[in-house]
Amino acid sequence: MSATAELPTKEAHVLKGHEGAVLAARFNGDGNYALTCGKDRTIRLWNPHRGILIKTYKSHGREVRDVHVTSDNAKFCSCGGDRQVYYWDVSTGRVIRKFRGHDGEVNAVKFNDSSSVVVSAGFDRSLRVWDCRSHSVEPVQIIDTFLDTVMSVVLTKTEIIGGSVDGTVRTFDMRIGREMSDNLGQPVNCISISNDGNCVLAGCLDSTLRLLDRTTGELLQVYKGHISKSFKTDCCLTNSDAHVIGGSEDGLVFFWDLVDAKVVSKFRAHDLVVTSVSYHPKEDCMLTSSVDGTIRVWKK
Amino acid sequence: MASDEEDFVFHGTPIEREEEIVSRKKKAVAGASGNLRTLPAWKQEVTDEEGRRRFHGAFTGGYSAGYYNTVGSKDGWAPQSFTSSRKNRAGARKQSISDFLDEDEKADMEGQSLSASSQFDTFGFTAAEYSRKQVEKEQHERPSAIPGPVPDELIAPVSESIGVKLLLKMGWRRGHSIKDVRASSDARREARKAFLAFSTDENTKETSDSMVSETEVETSLDPQFSEDIKISESIPVYVLNPKQDLHGLGYDPFKHAPEFREKKRSRLSANKEAGFRKPLSMKESLFGPKSGKTAPGFGIGALEELDVEDEDVYGGYDFDQTYVIEDEQPAKPSNDNRLRLTSKEHDVLPGFGAAKNSDYSMERFNPPTIPKDFVARHKFAGPLEAESKPTLSAPPDVPPPADNNLKLLIEGFATFVSRCGKLYEDLSREKNQSNQLFDFLRGGNGHEYYARRLWEEQQKRSDQSKLTLDVKPSSSVQKMTAEERGSLLGEKPLQRSLKETDTSASSGGSFQFPTNLSDTFTKSASTQEAADAVKPFKDDPAKQERFEQFLKEKYKGGLRSTDFNRVNSMSESARAQERLDFEAAAEAIEKGKAYKEVRRATERPLDFLAGGLQFTSGGTEQIKDTGVVDMKSSTTYPKREEFQWRPSPLLCKRFDLPDPFMGKLPPAPRARNKMDSLIFLPDTVKAASAHQVSESQEHKKETSIDEPEVEVEVENVERPVDLYKAIFSDDSEDDEDHVMNGKIQEGQEKKNEAAASTLNRLIAGDFLESLGKELGFEVPSDVPYQEGTKPMEEESKSRSKPEGSSDKRPDRAGFKQKVEEKTSSLTLGSEEEKSRKQKEKSPRKRSGGNDLSSSESSGDERSKKRSSKKDRYRNNDSESDSSSDYHSRDKQGSRSRRKRRESSREKRSSHKKHSKHHRSKKSSSSKLVYSSDEDRKESKREKRRRRD
Repeated sequence: MSATAELPTKEAHVLKGHEGAVLAARFNGDGNYALTCGKDRTIRLWNPHRGILIKTYKSHGREVRDVHVTSDNAKFCSCGGDRQVYYWDVSTGRVIRKFRGHDGEVNAVKFNDSSSVVVSAGFDRSLRVWDCRSHSVEPVQIIDTFLDTVMSVVLTKTEIIGGSVDGTVRTFDMRIGREMSDNLGQPVNCISISNDGNCVLAGCLDSTLRLLDRTTGELLQVYKGHISKSFKTDCCLTNSDAHVIGGSEDGLVFFWDLVDAKVVSKFRAHDLVVTSVSYHPKEDCMLTSSVDGTIRVWKK
Repeated sequence: MASDEEDFVFHGTPIEREEEIVSRKKKAVAGASGNLRTLPAWKQEVTDEEGRRRFHGAFTGGYSAGYYNTVGSKDGWAPQSFTSSRKNRAGARKQSISDFLDEDEKADMEGQSLSASSQFDTFGFTAAEYSRKQVEKEQHERPSAIPGPVPDELIAPVSESIGVKLLLKMGWRRGHSIKDVRASSDARREARKAFLAFSTDENTKETSDSMVSETEVETSLDPQFSEDIKISESIPVYVLNPKQDLHGLGYDPFKHAPEFREKKRSRLSANKEAGFRKPLSMKESLFGPKSGKTAPGFGIGALEELDVEDEDVYGGYDFDQTYVIEDEQPAKPSNDNRLRLTSKEHDVLPGFGAAKNSDYSMERFNPPTIPKDFVARHKFAGPLEAESKPTLSAPPDVPPPADNNLKLLIEGFATFVSRCGKLYEDLSREKNQSNQLFDFLRGGNGHEYYARRLWEEQQKRSDQSKLTLDVKPSSSVQKMTAEERGSLLGEKPLQRSLKETDTSASSGGSFQFPTNLSDTFTKSASTQEAADAVKPFKDDPAKQERFEQFLKEKYKGGLRSTDFNRVNSMSESARAQERLDFEAAAEAIEKGKAYKEVRRATERPLDFLAGGLQFTSGGTEQIKDTGVVDMKSSTTYPKREEFQWRPSPLLCKRFDLPDPFMGKLPPAPRARNKMDSLIFLPDTVKAASAHQVSESQEHKKETSIDEPEVEVEVENVERPVDLYKAIFSDDSEDDEDHVMNGKIQEGQEKKNEAAASTLNRLIAGDFLESLGKELGFEVPSDVPYQEGTKPMEEESKSRSKPEGSSDKRPDRAGFKQKVEEKTSSLTLGSEEEKSRKQKEKSPRKRSGGNDLSSSESSGDERSKKRSSKKDRYRNNDSESDSSSDYHSRDKQGSRSRRKRRESSREKRSSHKKHSKHHRSKKSSSSKLVYSSDEDRKESKREKRRRRD
């Protein structure tokens, strides 16, 4: 199995510290650090390669659902059940700004490339774009064409892509001012974009991952085998776009071959639901987080 | 020491010593006993019951008040104070004795006054009244936590009503029902005991365990007994578990940690029972019943309340222990007591383990052995059996009677009799002795035909029964399918009954036969056939069987049987899933069926009118609908749709992208479907290009106000430059502003506006032109175009905004035409354009007397230009804002004048009122000047729209 050999299936570290479910684990821009957040209302900064906890950020009033670090590692943003988006300073651990405006829980946040705006996806069926440059706390833009909760958001250099429970993956292209809505017919749980930028991987709640061609909206491939029905579980692609990774509600992590949709590898990563899967930006290293309160680092 | 004492000076009265008070009390006691009678009058003190000196009132000197401790003076009672009858004439106030009495005296008085004593206070009114008074009194004496009088309903009567007392006397006790149940329940208990004894005698095998269970069964079965219990428990027992802890009332320390409650209880019981029962393991109680919903270890803030969203979807779990996946046990519908008992057996009490080998085993009763010669089909011993023998010779074939009604009746009756037996015929003959219609039973009209029909039917029936018996001798025990039953019953598929009902209904329908009824209210058997023929679950025979069962139940009229025992082995979810599958499969079958049905329906439209098949026809339609839905839902995903989306300029800036809508119209209303968006796309593109072209003209005009001729010449040459500017110019000079104050959109917003305004102007001009043509009057052409027009058009743009989106689309269609015309005219050359402009300017002249204001407005315009953009353009919709800003700097006088003018304009253009409401009162001056033009244009536009 040469294919599995290059997959990060060996557990390198177990990061313990969160009390309760860990809802998201994200690498920073260069992959040297990781931020995790969870039900215990904290965000934790780790060195996943040495397995140590560096810092704990507390300010959220409720569970923290997503976190994202700027490319320069100076700031990060987080969101959660308290309906706010927090803009943090990494080193001081202070909240620089709180963006209020979502009428419901905020499910996902992302910075854009230049870290000038934060885009948040909320339970209130909207995507909101917040400005980090000015002191304005009003959203720069509210995208409210979604018909149901927006679960996930991904940004490219020119587009905002949101995945919603209404079954659509909507791409908002700023260059041409168009919205492309790809209706998948199934609630979209998580979206992630391939590294070549041509495809978007959408994890749907019918226990299926779907790979879409971004330019045409065609369904390229369907990946099945895992369980994803009621939890927000993540999916992503490896750096070479050769494999698709998805977490399952039974604690397994699946690796599919991108092209022929075969399950290349699956292994038990956690005892409980795998909430988040994050792939190292350069190396073959993976972070998984789970409801069991642990984050595991997987390497080759 | 003595000298020291002398130096002291005493001020005030010393506080009475304890002894003194005590002595006074003694004195009071003595006084009460009459000892004080001997004291002189002035030494006597009036005291209350507690020996305190009675207080007479501060004004007259405190304790030793009045004359010899009376209220009055030496001269006797003081006269009542004088009140002027001038001020209150009616104030001839009557004195009553209560005016002179103290509170306690009054109370005494009241006690003597006549009222129903509590003894006879049947309804508790007086008692309630009394207690209310008591409380009121108390209220006066000391302030309570709740200010004001206590609400009446809070004060309950203190004493019992006479009824209660009577009942108590009669032996009734609280907590029991009035109905005398004790005797009967006692008797019942006795009876039960006897029964039990009897049963144990019989079945000596039965252990005491089973006895207990049996009694349980019995009690649960015995409705009377349970009712008794209910009645006797109708009055709640208040203190079930007395409060023994020191927590506040209603406080449950284990509310969020039920596992500790269990632990505590076990500890307590362990203490009590001295180790008789071993304490429950912590783990079991922790993870057995999951009652705590919040995640362990943390809650939410004190000021936040627990919402739905705080529910821990991940459930309670153990961090260190491995996760045990609980197998979902299907909830069995426990209809019979046996099941419940066994389930109880499995459900071990906490702290008890299920015994590996129990000496009690449920006694099994074998099903009764079926005699070998038993035939599952009941044979009627009566006349049916006799008749079913096809020994009778066939009656001669007779033509049916002429009367259609009669024929129908005979046919129906024959069918019925053949099915139910001769008995029925006899019965009905007896019954319808006098009925003319049933003459054929008694050998009257149509008797031959009846005999023939009857014979035929019987023939048919016997054949069928023989057939079914031959084919399925073993399956006769099983439930018959609807199909079989239908054929057994001689039911025809719908087409046949259709004809019958058709005729019968037309003839009054007074004799509807059960056959027809059953036919109309159940789905035709043909559906069943189709469903049976199509076997969607061939690979799984069990499933297929269930599917058929499902179909049967689905299409069977009347009540659904809830017999799901066969599927008990499946879990709830699995069953639900299967049900869905079945539904889908059934629908698929129906769909195929639908075509046929429809065809059939169209063949006989009259039948539907007759009402015979209405039920089925409705069903057919439904099927069609579901088919359509199915088709729709089965359309391939993913589906791509495209909409227009307008990113905010700041967003584009933050992403370092050029704004795609720079210099274009404000965001269009979201296209509702694909078609709209497709139609809309070229539209906006054209419009945009038109703006840019026209914008260039605008710029030109700004620079050369006084030389329209020159402007026209230059125009065409310079246009491309401006166009490019409009599209590609980077508003870098505005950058600082943007970043500094976070305000946005200035530069390109301005362009937007300019473009939009020009477009509007062009359109307006076009309208004017056509208006002139239509009305046939000459438009003066020598008024120079002035700068002032521009703000007006900006206004018109802003005004068109608040109009509903529904208005907008047709509008746009109009725009499109206009714009196309315009672009073509622009390319044609400058002369045409010039003339058009002149025409366009003409109405302003007609309106007259606005030279001043227009020039002023042009001045205004310039000042506006100078004033900071920040103020003017906040965002897309801050038009009125900005103008008001601008106006605050304007002259007060001119403003008021304009206002007046505006009001007149508004009157004139009442039909446009709805749009005007959106306009701010402080709208810019120049707009007012041209509002008449604009109104006319708009009315014109409207007219045209209507015509279109």
